[in-house]
Amino acid sequence: MTRSPVWRLAIILPLLTILLALTQIRPGAAADWDQGVLRVGVLEEPKSLNPWLAGDSWSSHVQALLYQPLYLREPAELKPAPWLAAEPPVFDPQALTYTVRLRPAHWSDGSPLTAADVVFTAELIQALKVPRFASLFAALKRVEALDQHTVRYKLSRPDASFAARALGAPVLARKQWQPVLEQCRMTQRPLASLLQYKLEAPLSNGPFVLAEWRKGVYIYLKRNPHFFGQGLTIAGRRLGPEISGVVFKVYGTSDAAVLALRKGTIDYYWNNIQPGYLRDLTRDPAVRLVHSQKSALYFLGFNLRRHPTGQAAFRRAVAMLIDKQFVIKRVLQGSGEVMSSLLPAGNRLYHLDQTPDYDQPLTRRQRIEKAVAILSAAGYAWDQPPAWEGDRLRPGRGLKDPEGKPLRELGILTPPADYDPQRAMVGVMAQEWLGQVGIPAFARPMAFGAMLEQVKSRHDFDMFVLGYGNLPLDPGWLGAFFLGANDKPRGWNMSGYHSPEFDSLANQAGRAMDPDERRPLVLEMQRVLMKDAPFLPLYNPTLTEGLREDRFSGWVEMVGGVGNLWSFCELTPRAGRARP
Amino acid sequence: MTRYVINRLVQIVIILFMILTILFVLFRLAPGDPVARMVDPNMTPEDAARLIAQLGLDLPIWRQYLAYLGNCLTGNFGHSFHYGLPVLEIIGQRLPNTILLFSTGVLLSAIAGIAWGKLAAWNKGKATDLWLTVASLITHTLFLPWLALLLIWVFGYKLDWFPINGMISDEVWLDPDSGVLMKAWDVAYHMILPLGTLFIMHFGSYLLVMRSSMLETLKEDYIVTARAKGLTEKAIRNHHAAPNAWLPVVTSVGLSLAFSINGGALTETVFSWPGIGRELVFAVSQNDYPLAQASFLLVASVVLFSNLVVDVLYAYLDPRIRY
Repeated sequence: MTRSPVWRLAIILPLLTILLALTQIRPGAAADWDQGVLRVGVLEEPKSLNPWLAGDSWSSHVQALLYQPLYLREPAELKPAPWLAAEPPVFDPQALTYTVRLRPAHWSDGSPLTAADVVFTAELIQALKVPRFASLFAALKRVEALDQHTVRYKLSRPDASFAARALGAPVLARKQWQPVLEQCRMTQRPLASLLQYKLEAPLSNGPFVLAEWRKGVYIYLKRNPHFFGQGLTIAGRRLGPEISGVVFKVYGTSDAAVLALRKGTIDYYWNNIQPGYLRDLTRDPAVRLVHSQKSALYFLGFNLRRHPTGQAAFRRAVAMLIDKQFVIKRVLQGSGEVMSSLLPAGNRLYHLDQTPDYDQPLTRRQRIEKAVAILSAAGYAWDQPPAWEGDRLRPGRGLKDPEGKPLRELGILTPPADYDPQRAMVGVMAQEWLGQVGIPAFARPMAFGAMLEQVKSRHDFDMFVLGYGNLPLDPGWLGAFFLGANDKPRGWNMSGYHSPEFDSLANQAGRAMDPDERRPLVLEMQRVLMKDAPFLPLYNPTLTEGLREDRFSGWVEMVGGVGNLWSFCELTPRAGRARP
Repeated sequence: MTRYVINRLVQIVIILFMILTILFVLFRLAPGDPVARMVDPNMTPEDAARLIAQLGLDLPIWRQYLAYLGNCLTGNFGHSFHYGLPVLEIIGQRLPNTILLFSTGVLLSAIAGIAWGKLAAWNKGKATDLWLTVASLITHTLFLPWLALLLIWVFGYKLDWFPINGMISDEVWLDPDSGVLMKAWDVAYHMILPLGTLFIMHFGSYLLVMRSSMLETLKEDYIVTARAKGLTEKAIRNHHAAPNAWLPVVTSVGLSLAFSINGGALTETVFSWPGIGRELVFAVSQNDYPLAQASFLLVASVVLFSNLVVDVLYAYLDPRIRY
């Protein structure tokens, strides 16, 4: 190694490599092997294509193109449109049955998709109680194939969410999963075996089929020649796909993905683009930004099992102090809307369009004065109440509860700033707003997993800031989140909310099979929740996505963004139809 | 020597057992569990409990520990909770990518660092020394993600000379007309920016170690003797001083190579390099015990064995060292 030619080589080699690269022998540029392939940038790779295991959004992006449901929400009204089903389900209120007739459809290997596949999927979920799906089919008593193309679901009890949720679950291929199920049943832990099953070549009933997955780099889906929707018009939309395939390219950071979008390496970045990138992207004529509503809920939750957060008056005072407009303007940089109800405005059927008094436009002074009035009326007292000296506030000190005890320090749990800077910042802002009237609160960012365990399992918290970015449009979850029976470790009732009035409404809504009967009940449930405020809804961030239209056109906008099945079925290459 | 190696191997086995235990305890002490993060509104508490039972996490901790030890001894590291795949398969997919990038980075940095360190020491106090030392200090203290993003911005985006990130181009690898050479060149082409980043970040440390060691060596009597014998400056530098100055650099390179298998989560993330570093971070943050435990155990094993190899290598490089 000490001989000088080696050293020279050591210097020359890297230089030579760089020089070579600077020549125009750029492998990426040589390609263009198929202009009909859509290139989609994603931040993370799917965890698995095993539909029973993976529920993360990155896996869902790909799985949604492979495994199809009976009904799919159409983009205009968000109503379930018959997808694998040929027509809306026929409900028999006496017998509690849904009868579904299937379209003629095939799997990606050309074999027919029949009622047996639909029956098998439901039976597998019930037999192994597959975690992500079992609750959807909880009310199912039995499922049977009436003929090759007709399925009947018999319910054991009325379940208002069944049609929207269970019939919106993917249908899997019996010929692929039957042997797997039998194999799993012979093991000690059949469910674990199913979840750990390595699916090499999934049979698809969607518009695309897996062609190649290079782990950590890309997933290539090519057009499924047996897709049932090819050439059909469903919900007034003519389906393709007209593109020959989709490549999902993995980018570790948004920085890289946004640069790739601007450079033209990808046609669409399937992720929310943070406000920091928007200035440059807005100026780039090649990039189109699409702003969509989300079915999301970001909220401040209270622990009703504890004092003083268990007192409705205290929660209302906190609600009065939180300036949501400020959060939208400063924390979200204008990219979102205030939430005054638990269901977002995008959920047109069930959204409660009613603004509570604490969400009215108020000045800082008005907010503080109203909060002080609420606390005073509830029996709280101060050693030194908040007072105004001109325009300056002298914060309250020595706040005591109605029993005369000094208020202890209250923690506001938030995810850390590197996980979600907005929620972390909301925690800090809430701490400051509460401090104005002398409520001793402190924001406590903590690892997301640890926070969930503390909130959901141990119920060891005062307040927390959490959010759901992709809630189901069916409001069934609303009951689950606040039913008294769900106040248990790992239960969905994180706040420990108990209200006989709400429970009664939720139970009625859960049994109301007629949507017209169910809607007022759901609206009333929201009214009760806004009054009792176990959760204080804060904001619904606007989803901003970036795409290029120089190669493809026909993106379909809907709640949840342009990354939806309708888009992938309707996109058309600019250069004309892709080669088969 | 044989006795020394056997003793060290016994020590390694004991240390590995301790590491196995520490890893098991550490991950169980960490807040949260693999199911806590599954916030799917469709999952009920009963579903979560069933999943925990299926993953064997409901067993008493000592039974989990015994099962874990038994599995490790038989080379069964279990399935990743999140990928559903055998842990060894995931590591097998990612590790070669990490070794390719980081080992190449370490070797290139070391070769340049040794060469330039020798040059700096030989020209002590002159402009060459000053420039090389200052450059080393500056580049060694740069913030890696900043440097990486800067290189991506300038060379990947503005000048469009190199790919922005990734390890391969789908256009090349999916093209049925692409041959092996084209694919190999594609990988090399994608390595240039991450390698450049690693090189800039790390050559300085080797340069400074080599320079310092070389300066000590140049004070030795045998260098004076070599000069008195009338040897050329080049021969004295390359054949007498440099080989004796290598030892600390060998240790540094050996350990860097060993640690390179855990990749660099930051480098891999910024360049979307599909390596083991990103997986390690993911596994820890998601409480994916099997994947995290196996990955850390692998890193620990390689570091321990590399230490042994470096120690043995010392004896061959320096005849004065005997075990």
